[in-house]
Amino acid sequence: MMALTVNEWRGRRVLIGVSLPAAILASVLSITGYAYGADETPGVSQRALRAKLDYCEVCHGVSARGFVGYYPIPRLAGQQVEYIQNELRGFVEHKRMNVASPTATNVMFNVGHVLSPAMIKALATSFHNLDPKPFGGAPKQNLADGKRIFTEGISSAKVPACESCHGKDAKGNGAIPRLAGQLYPYVVKQLTNWSHERAEENSNIMAPIAHGLTDSQIDAVAAYVSYLK
Amino acid sequence: LFLVQIIMMNLDLRRTETTVFREAGGCRIVGRGGLPLIFALLLSLPVLAFATTGYARGLHAGASRHSVDEKIRYCEDCHGLSAQGFHGYFPIPRLAGQQPQYLENQLRAFVERNRPNPIMSNVAHVLSPAMIKAIVARFQRFHPGPAGPGPKRLVAAGRQIFENGVPHDNVAACAACHGPNAVGHGEIPRLAGQLYPYVVKELVNWPKERGQNPASPDTSLIMKPVAHSLTKRQIEAVAAFVSNLR
Repeated sequence: MMALTVNEWRGRRVLIGVSLPAAILASVLSITGYAYGADETPGVSQRALRAKLDYCEVCHGVSARGFVGYYPIPRLAGQQVEYIQNELRGFVEHKRMNVASPTATNVMFNVGHVLSPAMIKALATSFHNLDPKPFGGAPKQNLADGKRIFTEGISSAKVPACESCHGKDAKGNGAIPRLAGQLYPYVVKQLTNWSHERAEENSNIMAPIAHGLTDSQIDAVAAYVSYLK
Repeated sequence: LFLVQIIMMNLDLRRTETTVFREAGGCRIVGRGGLPLIFALLLSLPVLAFATTGYARGLHAGASRHSVDEKIRYCEDCHGLSAQGFHGYFPIPRLAGQQPQYLENQLRAFVERNRPNPIMSNVAHVLSPAMIKAIVARFQRFHPGPAGPGPKRLVAAGRQIFENGVPHDNVAACAACHGPNAVGHGEIPRLAGQLYPYVVKELVNWPKERGQNPASPDTSLIMKPVAHSLTKRQIEAVAAFVSNLR
């Protein structure tokens, strides 16, 4: 499976090598507002989009399924378009922080602030349409506990069922993110540090829930969603 | 040069001891007594003790401490003292402080011709898995200073690229995977203190030197678009930055 995805990736690389001068031309055209080709998002050429997607995948992994670099870098594949747009805005407006790795916040600020709204829309749509297998690797001993928290919540701790917003299959909806297949260490880190890291739009919804979960409950629910396809 | 001489003397001494040890063994088989034999046995005792305790204390089954020491010295012939890197005919990379998983992967890449390099291919293909585990663990613990730092005047520009990338040119920030201090993580290599000319050479030649065996694609593919998007000047800047890190 790995060999196939890497080969697919290699194919794209070759395409980029051949098409880079054309991509530069295309981006010039798109900046000046000229349409380039018939079936493209207005203002974004397919080649400029492809180059940007490849750039994202350097860190976010093949087919954007997530990657563990120095930090856990989240899966974007299958993610909700509106959520991705919202998070990019959060980074650019310095509302989304990263206490464990301030450099990573800085990275996403830099990535986000050069993107045009049209490119953001095109990127988010492309990611939404990807469907690679989950990254995997989470501990499996507490999956049943995780499933119970996800489907029933913990009423004694005022934690609602995750599925009531994120959906039965954890695929999210609009501004509510997909969790299915998300990297286990990433979900753990976000839920653990929620109130220190997340101040972007809609993030306040999750603050009391993250606060109500214990470390072992966070581990369990993060492991559960990480295996969902 | 002085240190190299000391190493050579050590090697010579070691050879002498080994010879005496072999002679002593020979004498015992012949079964002749007398002073020369006792003298030879006495001489060989430290060697025997070293060999046995070395074996018992070996960190990894199948690779005695003694044989690991020998192998490390052999690596240091080219990779420099404490594996800090060395300018031979080519820049020879620093291995000190390197991530064990990365070193293992590279040794495999030499054997599988993903990194075509006849010298390293020969070095790698005689190493047992136990020996590889032992030497990469040893290299990670070395912590010498940088052996080949690049020009200081490029460091600030290099830091900018390392921490922020070049978003307009689709260059990802190095720090996201290599870490803010460039120490690497797992299969992602440490860059801190790496030889400046080595980093420049690798980034310039990436598509020709890495991932050359289509039958066994490896993680070097991740770096291909990054190396491709960087200009020579940007490569020199970022190499200067990492080569000066401790």
